[in-house]
Amino acid sequence: MTEGAAYILEDVTFAYGERVALEVPRLEIPRGKVTAIVGANGAGKTTLLHLLGFIEPPRTGRITFFDKDVAPEEALDFRRRVGLLLQDPYLFHTSVLANVEWGLKLRRVPVKERRERAMRALEQVGLSGFERRAAPALSGGESKRLALARVLALETDVLLLDEPMSHMDRESAGRTEQVIRELNRERGVSVLLASPDILWAQALTDNVLSLHDGKIVPASLANVFRGRITDAGRSFETAKISIYLGAAEAQATHLAIDPSAIVTHLAIDPSAIVLSKEPLTSSMRNTLHGRVVAISEEAAKVRVEVDAGERFHVLITKKSLETFDLRLGDEVCLSFKSTAVKLF
Amino acid sequence: MDYLFKAFRDAFGLIVGLDGEVYYVVWTSLKVSLAACLLAALIGVPLGMKIALARFRGRTCVLLLLNTLMALPTVVVGLFLYGLLGRRGPLGALEILYTPAGIILGEFILALPIVANLTVSAVKGLDPRLLLTCKSLGASPGQEARMILVEARYAVTAAIVAAFGRVIGEVGIAMMVGGNIKGFTRTMTTAIALETSKGEFELGLALGILLLLVALIVNVALQMLQRSKADD
Repeated sequence: MTEGAAYILEDVTFAYGERVALEVPRLEIPRGKVTAIVGANGAGKTTLLHLLGFIEPPRTGRITFFDKDVAPEEALDFRRRVGLLLQDPYLFHTSVLANVEWGLKLRRVPVKERRERAMRALEQVGLSGFERRAAPALSGGESKRLALARVLALETDVLLLDEPMSHMDRESAGRTEQVIRELNRERGVSVLLASPDILWAQALTDNVLSLHDGKIVPASLANVFRGRITDAGRSFETAKISIYLGAAEAQATHLAIDPSAIVTHLAIDPSAIVLSKEPLTSSMRNTLHGRVVAISEEAAKVRVEVDAGERFHVLITKKSLETFDLRLGDEVCLSFKSTAVKLF
Repeated sequence: MDYLFKAFRDAFGLIVGLDGEVYYVVWTSLKVSLAACLLAALIGVPLGMKIALARFRGRTCVLLLLNTLMALPTVVVGLFLYGLLGRRGPLGALEILYTPAGIILGEFILALPIVANLTVSAVKGLDPRLLLTCKSLGASPGQEARMILVEARYAVTAAIVAAFGRVIGEVGIAMMVGGNIKGFTRTMTTAIALETSKGEFELGLALGILLLLVALIVNVALQMLQRSKADD
């Protein structure tokens, strides 16, 4: 089930009272892939996941789920076809096992199968042996893993995970990441996960949706700088650095907004930034000098933070890290093409 | 003081000696109070849940009314029902005045606002994430309500216990609607009032002690029930 779209959203909006929280003219979410939804707090990630989980109907617009239009009166049927892990899930005041079995009970899964699926889900998240424990007595990380097991046991074709790694220690987060990959690879489950950590999301998957103020923006939300467009649309200046945007005629292909706008945001894809010890001789027009201030592991990649006036995040492979022998405090050059730059 | 000691001794004699009249009165009291509470729970719990979860016009007024009804004087309920159920009353045809059914109806009216109001508080006191979690796991509105009830079980049981405490100890309704008929509608409270006025202080005291014992036993039983449910 990897062809086509899991979801198609058309002219979808959602509002809390008068405040519009989400505006999506069109969005296709692929089947059988891992898609990350990134954005700052309040960007609309949770709202979008709740719409995709059929918890709330959109105020306007249409949602198609696996080629079927979703009518509000059928929401419950569709809701049972997706597994939604809430950002801050509630654990029922009962045993760990009863918590995991509850969703299956609702679906009238026979007792024997229910038990098998629950045990399997608990094993997946590393909670085997916890079955008889009282759920409210679990630690923060264990609670989150239990909530994940409760969703995994449903064995749905779509998994919606709202900040699945929050409250988790490194080991649990690693295990969860592995579970997500396995489910996607082995069972073709379509996974959508919301995260405020843009670099982590980008390291995990190539499909990243960026949300800003309830709107989907055609840019990675890493390396976002606020500033103004100058030099007749050719440059962008923050308080500290200047970035070349490209010749005016080339801008139309990668700039999302009118270059005559004065103050705006600029984002640079962290995977499109090249790190080097010496300046490169290449077609890349933007070269900045900076100092490595942090290096950390991010999913299968490495996150390097460079202070070049503004703080840049760069994603490189582990192999590149070894080849460059990059260390904290090293002086480096950051190079990127003007096409790696997005304005919104 | 001797008089009091003697009364206590005689009272225990009546209790331990399994006095038939005493136990019939206890049985009648228990029967009508439990029936009234059961009815009040069947209607009051869903009603309280509905009020707590739904948003509708006049909700504040309903809550205010329920709060006021919690302080309903029993004689007022008795009087009101006497008027309704009497031969000339609009519900006279039911012929339940001076019957246990009449007392059950009156005590139900007394218990309902207590159960409903305390259920509202119980549900409102639940974690706000509960409903969303139920929804996210695919619960229908009925299944959501069931889980809400399960999660609020301690507080809801406490609501029913509070209502039971109120009805088992009330005298106004049992007297006015029941008529205190020996062997038929005589309850512990009406018997205490009658026997004491007749000078049968020992019997009154015995019934008083039994009343407290019954309240204690019911509370212990409910607490044990709660514990066993929690262990499921």
